Amino acid sequence: MTVATLTCAMVTLGVLFYVFYLPGRLHMGPEKTRLAYLQERKEVVYENLRDLNFEHQAGKLPDQDFKSLKASLEDEAAGILAEMARLEQAAIRPLPGRKETRI
Amino acid sequence: MSQIGSFALLLALALSTYSFLAGVLALARPGAGSERLGETARRAGIATFAVVFLAALVLVISAFHDDFSIAYIFHHSNRDLPAPYKFATLWSGQEGSLLFWSLLLAAYGFVLRLRHKTDVRLFAYASAIISAVQIFFLLLLNFAAHPFALMQGELPADGAGLNPLLQYPEMVIHPPMLYLGYVGFTVPFAFALGALIMRYPGEKWIRITRRWTMVTWAFLTCGVFLGAHWAYSVLGWGGYWGWDPVENASLMPWLTGTAFLHSVMMQEKRGMLKMWNMWLIFATFWLAILGTFLTRSGIISSVHAFAQSSIGGWFKWFLVITFVTFTFFFFKNKSHLRSEHKLESLISRESSFLFNNLLLLLACFTVLWGTWFPLISEYVQGNKVTVGPPFYNKVAIPVALLLLLLTAVGPLLAWRKTSLESLKRNFMWPALGALAVGILMVVFGVRPWQDIAYFYALMAAMLSALVGLTVASEFIRGGRVISRHTGQNLLASMVHLFHRNTRRYGGYIVHFGVAVVIIGILGTPFNQDKEKEMGFGDKMTIGPYTLVCESYTQDDNPNYSNEWAIINVFKGDRKIETMYPERRFYKASQQPQTLPRIRSTYKEDLYLTYEGLNEQTGRPIIKAHLNPLVMWIWVGVLIMIGGTVLALIPNAVPVRVPAPARIQTAPVGAGD
Amino acid sequence: MKSLPNSVLRTFQAGALALMVFALLGASDEGARFNSLGHRLMCVCGCSQILLECNHVGCTYSDRMRGELMAGLDRGENDDLTLQDFVQKYGPTVLAAPTGTGFNRVAWIMPFLALALGLLTTIFIVLAWKKRPALAAPGGVLPVSGAELERFRTQARKETQI
Repeated sequence: MTVATLTCAMVTLGVLFYVFYLPGRLHMGPEKTRLAYLQERKEVVYENLRDLNFEHQAGKLPDQDFKSLKASLEDEAAGILAEMARLEQAAIRPLPGRKETRI
Repeated sequence: MSQIGSFALLLALALSTYSFLAGVLALARPGAGSERLGETARRAGIATFAVVFLAALVLVISAFHDDFSIAYIFHHSNRDLPAPYKFATLWSGQEGSLLFWSLLLAAYGFVLRLRHKTDVRLFAYASAIISAVQIFFLLLLNFAAHPFALMQGELPADGAGLNPLLQYPEMVIHPPMLYLGYVGFTVPFAFALGALIMRYPGEKWIRITRRWTMVTWAFLTCGVFLGAHWAYSVLGWGGYWGWDPVENASLMPWLTGTAFLHSVMMQEKRGMLKMWNMWLIFATFWLAILGTFLTRSGIISSVHAFAQSSIGGWFKWFLVITFVTFTFFFFKNKSHLRSEHKLESLISRESSFLFNNLLLLLACFTVLWGTWFPLISEYVQGNKVTVGPPFYNKVAIPVALLLLLLTAVGPLLAWRKTSLESLKRNFMWPALGALAVGILMVVFGVRPWQDIAYFYALMAAMLSALVGLTVASEFIRGGRVISRHTGQNLLASMVHLFHRNTRRYGGYIVHFGVAVVIIGILGTPFNQDKEKEMGFGDKMTIGPYTLVCESYTQDDNPNYSNEWAIINVFKGDRKIETMYPERRFYKASQQPQTLPRIRSTYKEDLYLTYEGLNEQTGRPIIKAHLNPLVMWIWVGVLIMIGGTVLALIPNAVPVRVPAPARIQTAPVGAGD
Repeated sequence: MKSLPNSVLRTFQAGALALMVFALLGASDEGARFNSLGHRLMCVCGCSQILLECNHVGCTYSDRMRGELMAGLDRGENDDLTLQDFVQKYGPTVLAAPTGTGFNRVAWIMPFLALALGLLTTIFIVLAWKKRPALAAPGGVLPVSGAELERFRTQARKETQI
């Protein structure tokens, strides 16, 4: 009985110590940035472009479809790349009075 | 000992409640102190794992120490039970398996909370949702199905023993596999719901959970088929799938989970089907809970009704609460789930996924409908009816065949748009191959017009061939493209191709595995069986085999007494094997059991059971089954698991392109 | 002109097939009937197994039920009557699948109804999605044009070559 009680007490103490003893600084992590989001989108569009190239070469798409699909994906990629470039520029030289916009 | 277990369960409940409340508070009121609060919530989640682990450990140790003061140990173990089964006591009964569920969930939560730095906020949401599910199971364990409840009155000298059907090596791994699958779907569900609640921008949560989902799916696949293999090797009726409600319960989340694995790719790559996927992963989670409920509540009679009790009410409420909660957040944040792209063509990978989802869900609906119809019938017409194998065989097989057709065609379709010309061109050779298979089968005596079962078998064989051939053609065509660029030989190019997109080509291998499984299943209409009283020297012929009874013998050990037949198997004049079908009588549980013996070859299984003695003549009865192609089911499952493991390997050619990620200042809001 | 002989041929084929089916039905011997009926009945011992597949050691029902089935066939009863005898004696749960009458028909209709509805819905969705007007750029990314567009398109093209 006492061994059991002692074990329970030890476990409780150990757990409480682990949960509530938090030395040093903590942070919940940064909120996801627009740039990180764009980076993800870029990866997705790039992957789609690679797939498209590959599927075209594997003979699943006629040239005409390939061209139009590729153009639309490249447009999407260009939009993302342009915005990424702008954000990176702004980070190096913040424009006075301009705030980052939220999507 | 039992006090420590009981206390651990209470402590775990307190910790997970704290983890949930503190986690929600930290997320709902960001500001000073919320980070510390959030961190304590995360740590409380981690500590829950440690404490639930302690409770499970106590139960296992009690089983090994034959502590029959604990009612659960008394009911599911006995002194002479072999050690592995004593360990398996943890999941042999209702209370233990709920504890095991809770332990696995805590373990998944533990891993998730350790990896929180990937995306702290998203993980915090997922962690809170997992804690909420955990609270339910711990409430159940503490107040409705206590694994450490004590025996009343005088202590028994020995336990009641483990159900003989469960005393089989596979039973030690089948439930953990199945449960890992059931429980695992909580993780992608938690991320999906978390992402919805926080209106998480982008689809990164899918990338984060992609591997979780695949691993979980593999566990569930393994669990379902281990169950089938166990039924085949232990129940002794010569089959592996009886459309039992509990088998059905494991199949349902597998079907929706499979649908989710496919359709989530549309969200990841094209930003489509977001709402649908949300419902799909919810349904999978919900059906996994329902599966646990059906297995454990005894609401529907089944060979698995190892446990019957009153926990049904708890489960019903939990199912209702999760449904209401999910629906609330779905409608609240629906605008976040708008589609990003339109469908460009009817002949595209996208539309094939839509039809794939339709058929998988239809299969799930059919199974659900068949499982619940007895209850519906009782409600409507006042009497229960049985919905057994004849129903499912008629309804599910056409759906399965359509799915197989889609599995064959799907890989030939490109994303967004495929020209009809190329589809025809790429489809021609596999289709001719499949046709050749069909003609060969008819030549070798399969008469599809004689019986619908033969027709199905023929179709299944042709479609399986079609799947195999389209998979092969995809590898070859892709390999050629690589070969053109790199100058490698075709084989090296195909390996290269696989490494470029492991998920896709691993997935194709899984498809191939499915085709092989179907080949195994299509042997069923050609099954034969024979039953005969066999004395010494008596003969029985089945298919190409002649069975000659050599003798009968018996033995006794502390756990059971047994008798078995010694049957020599001849093929022509040549003796090829001696088989020992067996009957056991378990002493503690006072239950008999037959143990079939199986001789597996790639062509057929010879399956022998010792049925017992004829009451009138006193002569032993041997039943022989000849089940063609069964081995291919297990081979196919291994291929499916192998394919999944390959799909988990990271792509060799990095899809990522280097880009600076220095700016950490501007948060994104909602993605709408 | 061409279609007429074809349709006649088809009618003949269908007729021949039907005749063959009837011939096969007539030819089925008692063993096959026992097997087929035995697979349409459940063992009622609580094992939830098909009657002919129940192999419970010491099952007190299945042997007796098999005997009754054999006796029914020996009396020369037709399939329906034999099954009906079992329903009378053991209740409707003895049948392994719902019958095709009354409310039980719903059990059979529902999956096919769901298939039809599902197919229609999916086709409708596919068509609707195809007709959907081009959607706004996802994630609020603004389209670019002119030299900037060319520059970034070239970059994307370079970075995504096989």
